[in-house]
Amino acid sequence: METSFAITGKDYIIVAADTTAARSIVKMKTDDDKIKVVSPHLLMSYSGEPGDTIQFSEFVERNLRLFHIRNNYSLRPSAAASWIRRSLAQSLRSRKPYSVNLMLSGYDVTTDTPHLFWIDYLGTMTEVPFGAHGYGSYFALSLLDRYHNPEATLEEGIETLKRCIDEVAKRLIVSPGKYIVKVVDKDGTRVIEI
Amino acid sequence: MNSLANRFSTTGPINELRRAKSVLEDDEFTDSAWGSEAGFGSLAKGVPNFTVPSVPDPSAFLRLHTDDYADPSCRIKIQHGTTTLAFRFQGGVIVAVDSRATAGSYVASGTVKKVIEINPYLLGTMAGGAADCQYWETYLGIHCRLHELRNHERISVSAASKYLSNLVYSYKGMGLSMGTMICGWDKTGPAVFYVDSDGTRLKGDIFSVGSGSTFAYGVLDQGYRWDLTDEEAQELGRRSIYAAGHRDAFSGNTCNLYHVKEDGWKFIGNYDISKLHYDGPGETPGAGYGYDVRVERSAAIAVQA
Amino acid sequence: MIVSKIRQCVHIAAISNRHNNLTVVEKLGRTTIFSPEGKHFEYAMEAISHAGTVLGVLAKDGVVLAAEKKVTGKLLDLSGAKEGGYGGSGEKIFLLNSNVIGGVAGLTADANSLINYARSAAQQHLLAYNEDIPVELLAQRLCDMKQSYTQYGGLRPFGASLLYAGYDQQYQFQLYHSDPSGNYSGWKATCIGANNGTAQSLLKQEYKDDIEVKAAISLVLKTMSKTMDSTTLGSEKLEFAVITLDPETKLPKAKIYRPDEIDELLQAEGLGKKEEDDAMKS
Repeated sequence: METSFAITGKDYIIVAADTTAARSIVKMKTDDDKIKVVSPHLLMSYSGEPGDTIQFSEFVERNLRLFHIRNNYSLRPSAAASWIRRSLAQSLRSRKPYSVNLMLSGYDVTTDTPHLFWIDYLGTMTEVPFGAHGYGSYFALSLLDRYHNPEATLEEGIETLKRCIDEVAKRLIVSPGKYIVKVVDKDGTRVIEI
Repeated sequence: MNSLANRFSTTGPINELRRAKSVLEDDEFTDSAWGSEAGFGSLAKGVPNFTVPSVPDPSAFLRLHTDDYADPSCRIKIQHGTTTLAFRFQGGVIVAVDSRATAGSYVASGTVKKVIEINPYLLGTMAGGAADCQYWETYLGIHCRLHELRNHERISVSAASKYLSNLVYSYKGMGLSMGTMICGWDKTGPAVFYVDSDGTRLKGDIFSVGSGSTFAYGVLDQGYRWDLTDEEAQELGRRSIYAAGHRDAFSGNTCNLYHVKEDGWKFIGNYDISKLHYDGPGETPGAGYGYDVRVERSAAIAVQA
Repeated sequence: MIVSKIRQCVHIAAISNRHNNLTVVEKLGRTTIFSPEGKHFEYAMEAISHAGTVLGVLAKDGVVLAAEKKVTGKLLDLSGAKEGGYGGSGEKIFLLNSNVIGGVAGLTADANSLINYARSAAQQHLLAYNEDIPVELLAQRLCDMKQSYTQYGGLRPFGASLLYAGYDQQYQFQLYHSDPSGNYSGWKATCIGANNGTAQSLLKQEYKDDIEVKAAISLVLKTMSKTMDSTTLGSEKLEFAVITLDPETKLPKAKIYRPDEIDELLQAEGLGKKEEDDAMKS
């Protein structure tokens, strides 16, 4: 069942999402990447209605790219998040709304600060120190309330992420198998193995 | 109230319809003379305006007349039960499907072609609505050909499947029902994409779609290796479809087998699933896939030894 | 939304394309004649070259803007500029957004329309992105609009040039100039309106990189005093504004001076009216 986490640290954000694409009871794919790199210092993890997720995330990706081409710099995380939230909120009142939940993790190069935005399909947006979507959130949020440290180093952050993943594996009936983990910091985005 | 609101709103199906009609009427002034589509004729007009029922809510209308679960006497019965599979391996792509069409509990046909030959390098499989798959995959074939003519090279499997997924996504919620695998060989080698009417599109090595897919997966996953030989791979495809045909009431009759290689697809054969049960793909009685047949055979071999 | 906008543009392009395929003059009777910098521009540029001078200087820690007012006179009621508002007398210098000040030269009515457009564009950006509009983007928004008035038949271009002095996170302090054709460019120091050639050569001599706001203010006032026709400067002939960073909030702070503040500043710079001048007049 779809699960994603994101944790901010001192100068980075770690994002993790499960890699299963399921149709009814069948896992159609076990290495699906649900974290999109939407600009050089911005990651977007998405989950929700099949079809909508891809269409919306590509819509966002293309528009942010267009902004970059036109202006030679990328939108800052907060501006990108506001634009994305607005797109979702407008879609909600349309004939065919996008049912997509998002977490937007970005490193603001103008202020050298990491920012994490939690956005749901209704267009709710809030900036958080850590966030989660899906069934995993029911276990991870309390865990992170207890263990999250905003000053943690990357290694410590990864340890906290592992706690989340282990807890979900232990308690959720149908727990996701593999996760893909990405990091965004001053150097941009990268995939890490855990 | 709804119809009143619809009449004055700028969105909604009624207006979509009205807009579609006006587009059609405007057609005598063809687009072929100007703009970026010059010279390509009316086929090239991107996403087509597919005619939808002229009622306030086309998808509700469709559901009313096609939901055989809620109403067994509904007017249109959409073929649902199926087993289709495709997988990628060292020697290309194997595509195998059953041939049964059911309408409710009634076997409507036992000789359905569930592999759609889009062009000599592309195959599409059919699960869900037969008409939807046939229509849109044929339509996809037209665009693949146009792509060839315009760009002097074959369309990639990735691009063809993306075209189809964008197309069905534009009809999301309107009642389309398709679960298809677009298989072929392009510059990147063998490729398989799963595309369904939700708008999902997945790249992968092994896919199976339809009511019998779980049964097919059971055999397919266990027998799969990347370095399968051509013969082994064909046998695996056949056996997997047999397994589904045997266990799933909505799949069966015969198995159609295709093999895609660098120089295009080749039809390998049509196999009667009952015959596969007893005799296997050859003409050797007792070499069947069936559990009893197989167990008796190994018992006999044990006795001999 | 951006994507759909592009599609619209493509559509427009396609339609005009369709017209080009017809023998335009015969079938439609008239057509838009394409002549670069046609008569309209001559008029527009003419209007600007007679307008009151507007001068901008970009400093390391801020931008300074000054403008010469043309509409003056004893009977002009400027009480509105003294009380309330955000400063200025509303002829040449305007607040476009909390981070951008605009200075205009040319037809006042045209300029007012542009300012209204700029303010709306800035608010639209705030609505979509929850941040102040970047200065260059604001200049682009206006220029896209100005450009469209140069392309279609039966339209008159805006007879106004603008200076934009502003701050954004990406490029910090900036100074831009845009003209009626829709061209824009960034400057360290520039001048539009009457005598802009004189002012610009003065600025070229005096400007130093790494100039600070305090020095920039002196430079602007000195240049203005040499450029303007009148011998002495006073709040009745001058508008003045500065944009800096608030040391506490680190946010841009735009200040458009009130008449009494301008006089005070001129006195401090030694450019104001001397007591004797008043005495001599009376």
